[in-house]
Amino acid sequence: MAFLGTYGLMLGLVLSVGGAVTAAVGARTDRPALVQTARRIAFAVLATMVVVDGAMLAALLSNDFTLRYVADNSSRETPVFFKVLSLWAADDGSLLFWNLILAGYVAAVAIRFRRYRPPTFPYALSVLFGVQAFYLLLVNGPARPFGTLAQAAADGRGPAPLLQNHPLMAVHPPFLYLGFIGFTVPFAFGVAALLAGTGSDAWVSIIRRWTLLVWCFLTVGLVLGALWSYSVLGWGGYWAWDPVENVALLPWLVATAFLHSIMLQERRGMARLWNIALVIGAFALTTFGTFLTRGSVLSSVHAFAQSAVGPAYLTFLGLVLLGGFGLVAWRLPMLRTPARLESTVSREAAIVGNNMLLLAATAIILLGTVLPLVVEALTGDQITVGGPYFQSALAPVFLLVLVLAGTAPLLPWRAVNRERAVRRLRLPVLAAALVIVGTSLAGLRDLYAVAGFGAATLVLVGNGQEIASGLAVGRRHSGVLRTLARGRRRYAGLTVHIGLALLAIGITASSNLAEQTQVTLRTGESTVFADHTLRYAGLETDQQAQRVVLTARVDVSGSGPLTPRMNLYPAASEPIGSPSIHRGVLRDLYASVISLQDDGNSATFRFYRNPGITWLWIGGVVMALGGAAAAWPARRRRAEEATVAAERRRQFSGAGVV
Amino acid sequence: MRRRLLLLGTVVVAVLAVVAVLATGLGRDPAATASPLVGRAAPDFTLGGINGPAVTLSKLRGQVVVMNFWASWCTECHEEQDALDQTWQRYRDSGLVLLGVDFEDTSDGAKDYMHQSGLTYPVVEDKDSKTALAYGIRGIPETFLIDRSGRIVDRIIGRVDADRLAGAVEPLLKGGTE
Amino acid sequence: MRGRWSAAGLVVVLAAIAAAATLGLVAVRGHQQPASRSQQVQQIASGLHCPICKDLSVADSPAPLAQQMRQQIDEQLAAGRTPDEIRAGFVAAYGDSVLMSPPRHGIGSTAYYLPLIVVLGGALVVVLLLRRWRRPSGVDAAEPNGRAPLTSAQRQALRRAVERLREEEA
Repeated sequence: MAFLGTYGLMLGLVLSVGGAVTAAVGARTDRPALVQTARRIAFAVLATMVVVDGAMLAALLSNDFTLRYVADNSSRETPVFFKVLSLWAADDGSLLFWNLILAGYVAAVAIRFRRYRPPTFPYALSVLFGVQAFYLLLVNGPARPFGTLAQAAADGRGPAPLLQNHPLMAVHPPFLYLGFIGFTVPFAFGVAALLAGTGSDAWVSIIRRWTLLVWCFLTVGLVLGALWSYSVLGWGGYWAWDPVENVALLPWLVATAFLHSIMLQERRGMARLWNIALVIGAFALTTFGTFLTRGSVLSSVHAFAQSAVGPAYLTFLGLVLLGGFGLVAWRLPMLRTPARLESTVSREAAIVGNNMLLLAATAIILLGTVLPLVVEALTGDQITVGGPYFQSALAPVFLLVLVLAGTAPLLPWRAVNRERAVRRLRLPVLAAALVIVGTSLAGLRDLYAVAGFGAATLVLVGNGQEIASGLAVGRRHSGVLRTLARGRRRYAGLTVHIGLALLAIGITASSNLAEQTQVTLRTGESTVFADHTLRYAGLETDQQAQRVVLTARVDVSGSGPLTPRMNLYPAASEPIGSPSIHRGVLRDLYASVISLQDDGNSATFRFYRNPGITWLWIGGVVMALGGAAAAWPARRRRAEEATVAAERRRQFSGAGVV
Repeated sequence: MRRRLLLLGTVVVAVLAVVAVLATGLGRDPAATASPLVGRAAPDFTLGGINGPAVTLSKLRGQVVVMNFWASWCTECHEEQDALDQTWQRYRDSGLVLLGVDFEDTSDGAKDYMHQSGLTYPVVEDKDSKTALAYGIRGIPETFLIDRSGRIVDRIIGRVDADRLAGAVEPLLKGGTE
Repeated sequence: MRGRWSAAGLVVVLAAIAAAATLGLVAVRGHQQPASRSQQVQQIASGLHCPICKDLSVADSPAPLAQQMRQQIDEQLAAGRTPDEIRAGFVAAYGDSVLMSPPRHGIGSTAYYLPLIVVLGGALVVVLLLRRWRRPSGVDAAEPNGRAPLTSAQRQALRRAVERLREEEA
């Protein structure tokens, strides 16, 4: 196994470097044969990665403790399900998984462009191979997953207890990786556009669809991360503003900005320079995120064990920034476009505002996350920048983003017909005002809570109204389905906004209206909380293969019992708690057992009443589905039509024909 | 052309600055935090003894005190047991007091462990963790070195070994009250 | 025409004013002061970083040390100490990093100015950008691609494309 893995990784590295060179030469000398070879190399690299990852999986499943990684992250008692997950549980193995996904993306690009080959394709392929080469360099150099032990261990240590506690470990990292790694593709095409020197906008539609797909993956990955934090960690919350959480959010925000400003380029030919910068920035942020997560620079829940990869990531980040933004600086004249704005109250202006707000949020989160590092470097003092800071700094920014999401889709391009705009805005603004006045009359005292509900209402009613009126008109002309299909991008976008509003409602409700209590109960004793009587029924012990599970049953009046657990793993000095949640449409009832006394006759519980959490998950799913609907591949002809049509639109935008 | 070079130059400088700042974070243990107590007077306390009478820190003034926070469930603490005992035996007659402070533990668990390991130095228990909080404990084991005048000279996070302790303790023993 | 508001316009403006006024009132009246001591403990604890956890506040953390800290906060409040004094006590033992947000003195305080600078700077950029774009610059006359006039077939295709565009926007 070790042999197969080690040599497979070396082969992969050689192939990737070869592919990068072949594609680059083929691009510069305009030789399609070389480009074809490069494409084939992409498939070879993917095959190699599949074999290598398969070798590691086989080693894990067969308890091959000659491998250091298996000995550190698996054990005989670990259930098969979690043995498989051990592949991405720790630094080295997860790099194997990373390389596999990256190779998959490169192969996907090679397949996607087997017939239609834009001039940027070979350059993009070269860049993709280059990135792959870096990550393969890591697993061949500082981080060796197939390192062997001098003597095979009798049994492994098993995965970290926190990572084998919940099946969500199966989906959260893969989706996050698919999102993170996926930003390599738009980046590669953006850089390729700069390298190829073409002034055309053909690359835009290519990048748009890939970015949208990657954005969907990252959205799901982030929501799953929040779900994991909520359902597994037992502190009643879902987002701790951990540095690693923050850096995962940064590329998402930049990608969202890009997905909006790309409309400016497609429809008005504006913002070319800006869009390329955004794509490069998104990828740079993922690289920065990788550096922060794995370079053991900041302390975090997610921090992998200290390893020697930090300097490598930092060097790569430097190269990416230099290469990407250096190219932008160099190609500046090519990217400048004449832009014209008819009216300040128009969708163009709203998109500019949206980009500014999202980038401001990105900057605030980035600076806040890095500030402890900078302060310590400059003065030696140690400070913490935690949740309360981010929440108060970002709340106004996100509120304004919501307001734009509720009003911009109602604004037309170019110039606004004031009467029409006002008529469209009437219902959403009215609804929002009613909610604001209503909630404050009902006793809600927090400014951001009231404003949050109001803004979410604005978005819901505004976007909902647009969908309804569009369908109402279209139904008469060509039927609902055809209307949806024709205006797919627009309706999908409106759906994403609605998902965002639901998410906002969930966040606002749970942040401002949550209740919690801590109480110690003896067996049989009960307490009253959240309109329920909660009675501690007793402790049950369950001896499992890899752990001992102590369940503290709490009988809840009017519904089934809550069963918060304490899991005792031999490797952990302290038990890992698992909360028990009664999920509901309006509110969640959440229980965590903090400690046990007197052989389990007495237990200390934390009970939470979290309103609106379910809407967080629903909103996230709606957003991801909306994004997927927008990204759904059209027929090839339509894609090329769209590019041509975009060119024509741009051409005639100033001539008053439209 | 000049404008492009200027822009390029700006990008290069900015990137190098960013990389330099981030590089300072490398090679630094993210878990290591400096203690603000070093150089200040050690917070006083009176704690009940597990294997002896109660101990009040201020009464130990004039002697060098090595305070070690530990617990019976802490595996890393077991590993430094020998080193602590050695240091105690070696220097107890020169004016050193090695004081174990049991943290977030049960009296029985502590007693069992002490009996098993055969440790000989005095141990007190910090039942409500007030002393731990006063000393800024972030985890165990943590060891504090207090000189003869009651001032905290150093704080060691994690396992200590006998040589390091000896090297730290000897200058304090020679020092005398400042 | 400019000065007249239709019924719809009036509704929008009035609703917006009502919303803004309500928000202003809520902001000014603000939170009631925490009544019970347990609420005060919660407030102070949520501003302290649990020393043995990675990102949780003392209020959120289930760790025993965090529990002891909450207990200590409770006792100190009962003894009459102010929240600032209690926080200072923890800072004396743990350093500034035990506070969830940077202290308001020293270089860390830049954290409080940064968001404001970022947002105001961004707003300034947006305003300048929009102003520049609104100025009719005569640049559109110098389109880089000089094309031949359209054939009738092209005109038809263009008309169809325009119709489709209009439908999408409707």
